[in-house]
Amino acid sequence: MSYDPADAPAEYPPELSRLPPGRHGLPRDFVVHNQRERLIAGLAEAVAEKGYGGTTIADITRHAAVSRRTFYEHFEGKDECFVAAFDTVTEQLRERVEAAYEAEDEWSDGIRAGIGAMLTFLASEPNLARLAMVEALVAGPVVVERYDASVQTFVPYLEAGREGRPKKVLARLSDSTEEALVGGMVSLISRRIVAGQAEELESLLPDLVEFTLAPYVGSDEAARVARG
Amino acid sequence: MRPPPGRQRLSREFIARHQRARIVAALAEETMDRGYRAVTVADIVRRAGIARNTFYDNFSSKEDCFLATQDFAVEESLARVLEAAAAEEDWEARTVAGLGAFLKYVSDEPALARTCIVEALSAGDAAQERYEQSLQAFVPLLRKGREHSEHGDDLPETLEETIVGGIFWVIYQRIVLGEAERIESLLPDLVDFALTPYIGAESAQRATARL
Repeated sequence: MSYDPADAPAEYPPELSRLPPGRHGLPRDFVVHNQRERLIAGLAEAVAEKGYGGTTIADITRHAAVSRRTFYEHFEGKDECFVAAFDTVTEQLRERVEAAYEAEDEWSDGIRAGIGAMLTFLASEPNLARLAMVEALVAGPVVVERYDASVQTFVPYLEAGREGRPKKVLARLSDSTEEALVGGMVSLISRRIVAGQAEELESLLPDLVEFTLAPYVGSDEAARVARG
Repeated sequence: MRPPPGRQRLSREFIARHQRARIVAALAEETMDRGYRAVTVADIVRRAGIARNTFYDNFSSKEDCFLATQDFAVEESLARVLEAAAAEEDWEARTVAGLGAFLKYVSDEPALARTCIVEALSAGDAAQERYEQSLQAFVPLLRKGREHSEHGDDLPETLEETIVGGIFWVIYQRIVLGEAERIESLLPDLVDFALTPYIGAESAQRATARL
């Protein structure tokens, strides 16, 4: 049986895909790397089932279908595995947002595309969405710090919207405008995930776009872009 | 405060209520000092200066006490917000006054603020859910702004949740970064943030300029 990444289940990003069980004759480097990804995927599944607090190493290795020893070859414990999972998810998210944003010429279209990419990713990966946006906060101070930093990485996309605006517009933006906009967006998305509505996140797109663009382009233009 | 010796002058209910408030305050102070996870019932009992039995007369566990602390802070802060808002005539001024009262409460009560705005997020499912509900408590106050907005009917359905979430996030950041003393100075920025979607940037700025 040979392994083709294209056979990976579509609902997982490539690096979280499963290695088929049994002998596979793959180079050791690949297997080692893949084991790590499997453990990360295993943790995401276990956490979705039992929450971070309730998840044990045994749950992770069962979902990942690897031995306990393999787990400890990669991670010192549950916390370290969680951090790796968190970083993988947020990296994925950032890459997709970046690609969507960069593909547009106009800043406001870029923001719309970026928010859209974020919602699409989170809606298609409800387990990972929950891990990164809800469970991360209960996973200890190291992860909380990363969570805060990760939210802040979306601030510069909005700050770029200040460029070339009339003085009148700039005067009404404050130092905390972007922080409040990103915070509001993250907070709304988290609430929907907590409420078990991760899969419907894409329906928030027009609201979030309008909310985010309004301070820069005014509410009429924001509403226009939001409605596509 | 211990009941006075000799004749009992305070009602049983008063003492009970007072004890709960004292225990809640002790939990918040301990949480601020060492983080919620590390706090034990023994710490709370010592800080409150009560017997362990008294703690368990009032609460079933540390978690139960934490939820009561959240309820206490939400109830108190909401009362201050409503009181400040009621003293004003129009929606705009009420929002400014209410937000000002909220920021003042947060900065006057650093232990409760840290417990309920930062620690609550990592204190388990029930606490996280309570936190979400507490944000929801402020939504109707803002929502009234739709009646005073020219385009009130067209505003996004989720607007108020998003504004409240944004305000809490900014406060959260100041607390986490150890800049709690800056919280009251955020008032003009946050007023601007909250009013603009309803009355437009220029009117919001006029409201901010009066601060």
